[in-house]
Amino acid sequence: MSSVWLLTPLYLIPVFSQSEVLLTILIFTFILSILAIGFNIVFGYAGQLTMFHGAAFGIGAYGTFLIHSSLGISFWLALLPTFVAILLLSLLVGWICFKFRLREFYFAVVTLAFSELVRLVILNWNSVTNGSLGLLVLDKPTFWLPGVGVMMIEGTRAWYLLALTSLLVVAALSYVLVRSWIGRNFAAIRLNEELAQTLGIDTFRYKLLAFAISNIMAGYAGALFGFYTNYIEPSQLSITQSLDAIAMVLLGGVGSILGPVVGAFVLTGLPHVINLSAELRAAAYGAILIVAILVMPRGIVGLLSRSRHVS
Amino acid sequence: MTQVILGQFLNGIIIGTLYGIIALGVTLTFGITGIVNFALGQFMMIGAYATWHLTDISHLPYPIAVALAVLIAGFAGLLSDRALFQFTRNNLVNGLLVSIGLISVIESGALLLYTATPKNLDFVLSGSWTFGDITVPRMKVATFGVLLVVIVFTWIALANTWLGRATRAYAQNPEAATLMGVNTEALQVGVTVYSCALAGLGGAMYASLYSLEPSMGALFILKGVEAAILAGIGNLAGALVGGIILGVTESIGSLFLPTAFRDAYGLIFLVAILLFRPSGLFGGQK
Amino acid sequence: MFLEVEDLTKRFGGVVAVSGVSFKIQKGEIVGILGPNGSGKTTLLSLLAGLLAPTSGRVLWQGRDISGFKPDAIAAAGIVKTFQNPQLFAELSVHDNVMIASHLALKRLLGSRRLGTFFCAKGADRELQIRAERVLELCRLTAVVDKPATNLSYGEEKMLGVAMAMMCEPKLLLLDEPASGLGHEEVVHLGLVLRDLREHGTTLCIIDHKVAFLADFAHRLIALQNGMKIAEGHPKDVLSDPTVITAYLGRHHA
Repeated sequence: MSSVWLLTPLYLIPVFSQSEVLLTILIFTFILSILAIGFNIVFGYAGQLTMFHGAAFGIGAYGTFLIHSSLGISFWLALLPTFVAILLLSLLVGWICFKFRLREFYFAVVTLAFSELVRLVILNWNSVTNGSLGLLVLDKPTFWLPGVGVMMIEGTRAWYLLALTSLLVVAALSYVLVRSWIGRNFAAIRLNEELAQTLGIDTFRYKLLAFAISNIMAGYAGALFGFYTNYIEPSQLSITQSLDAIAMVLLGGVGSILGPVVGAFVLTGLPHVINLSAELRAAAYGAILIVAILVMPRGIVGLLSRSRHVS
Repeated sequence: MTQVILGQFLNGIIIGTLYGIIALGVTLTFGITGIVNFALGQFMMIGAYATWHLTDISHLPYPIAVALAVLIAGFAGLLSDRALFQFTRNNLVNGLLVSIGLISVIESGALLLYTATPKNLDFVLSGSWTFGDITVPRMKVATFGVLLVVIVFTWIALANTWLGRATRAYAQNPEAATLMGVNTEALQVGVTVYSCALAGLGGAMYASLYSLEPSMGALFILKGVEAAILAGIGNLAGALVGGIILGVTESIGSLFLPTAFRDAYGLIFLVAILLFRPSGLFGGQK
Repeated sequence: MFLEVEDLTKRFGGVVAVSGVSFKIQKGEIVGILGPNGSGKTTLLSLLAGLLAPTSGRVLWQGRDISGFKPDAIAAAGIVKTFQNPQLFAELSVHDNVMIASHLALKRLLGSRRLGTFFCAKGADRELQIRAERVLELCRLTAVVDKPATNLSYGEEKMLGVAMAMMCEPKLLLLDEPASGLGHEEVVHLGLVLRDLREHGTTLCIIDHKVAFLADFAHRLIALQNGMKIAEGHPKDVLSDPTVITAYLGRHHA
């Protein structure tokens, strides 16, 4: 758990810093890290390159908001049916892909196609999703604490706490997952799928599991993102969203729990530090992805650490 | 009603040829360098914007602008190959990721230079031909003609010239080709550059018909990949046919189903082919 | 009857790799399969292990038809195969490799309760670690337990393959050329490991080129040529069968 504990000092930052900019960057970092950690589980650990998480991110945002506003239930309760929907969709897409033994590149292409189909549905289902105009999210997630009553998550500091705590929970769960026998099976699939099968591991089932888990995490990140930025729109489901997550993971380091967080921080924070225009930021993104692939296959964390352990 | 369908059918063939030239680039790149260059859409965009710039700003005649644009796109392809793609040969996943990074870089460049405001070429060839009740703009026919000629020329060159045969030999058996003295690295660079030039030509012709936006690249590469995989990736003759099938389906489909579905046909083809007949309709490499 | 192979055939396009092969294996036997290159031995084993689906014919295991089952289902049923070119989980240590192979053992130990081992894996984990240590000791890999699998010698890699197969507690172990590439001492050691396996009640089916090794060890031999069975029986009889000698050494030796 050592790497996950490294996140806890971050709670102190709002105490010492008054900078709205810094806190905002960190909030985005934490939320996008959840997306990236999810992607890392299915790609870094189980070895499946997927392009579906962008769609899951968007479904998380749309689903949670729509269920919350139409049924009048809280943010947290609205997450549950959203997760179920993402789970079912993951099982459907995953079942189709893995049943037909799509490998690597072709798996990526088909998940990309499914992701685009989802985006098209959301873009055109005007009655429900308001199409390309998007949805305004003015409600806030609420907490009920004994003795204090209902608390709204409003303002930078409250969001900071929520985002960081969410990240810690997700990171801790991922850590436990990866160190368990399920994580072992993921690694087996990534390293030598045929051998894993002859040793009795049902690779189909575990690939499906990794895929579903990564999409559900992406969905949670999407829900947080939507409620934080107060705005949900179809472009959040575009391929670029999936690519952002991929870039973060590749940059930060595949196959380590914190790697994606480092990558998310660099990619979210760097453009602000250098003060780039939106177009240059996109260019920088692309350049970083390229550099990460060609020069740093192990990412920043890989450069810093010597070896990678699984169990 | 038949006239409408026929009109849409012709429209579909023309746009299908545009898809087809991109698909040809995709398939050539895959067959020789072993990757799918998702950035080909960006080279199409480079060709389109270069053409626009050369005609509207430099006031060169359209055909010259097209020729120059093709060269520019090809040169950009050369730079990309030396800087990036030479390190990702035969690595589909890395090639995918690198070309996607390249997309961001090139698209941002276009946004910076030309902004997102759509650009339009002044009319290159106005007027139209009428067959019965069907009217087809002359420029569309010209586009179709130019692209068809280039595609057929490519096929013939691959079948009959020494270079073409060397290319096909390499696609079939890389080691044997090396042993026979083919400079395989030069071949791979050449194919990458040629594919980018083809895409650039597609963009240059596109510019004469439609308005230009930096996001056009993303749309067309997806169609190009769909068409190439539909036909069978690696199958050179099939690329054009795949493009036309896709174009026609979209055009005729838009008569019966809402336009929202337009992009869905290609996606569904893509998924269906990869699941049920991965070698494509006409069989390609895998 | 433990394993029954009925008229098994595998065709790859125009090539018939295995043609109408039938034989039976009894519990506790050691059966050797021999044949020149291209006789279909490896294909046959891959068919039995579920890595390939038969074109026609059946495989019956303990009375059940397992033809066309996936490899993990066949492993769960008790049949495990090793690979001629050692297959490993690169990057991971020898210990981690063997622990991955403990999945079936974990399933058998805990059933669906294994989901509960997420947060506290102590009990089951310890049991599996003990088994892993025993297996590693048996395969003489204790000295290299923490080495990355890619740093092993060829002989050690082969033994790791056997160790991983053993972790699955197979009832029938299919060994694809376990002795190939091994030095003399390693072959002797391999023989000891296999004899130990037999004492534990594992049935063995071995392919190998080292005919002497097989003859020494196996109860029964099956000879293949061009995908077909050409002889079967006691090693002495099979090795003196003229068809077998012709297949291996050429016509004038018969």
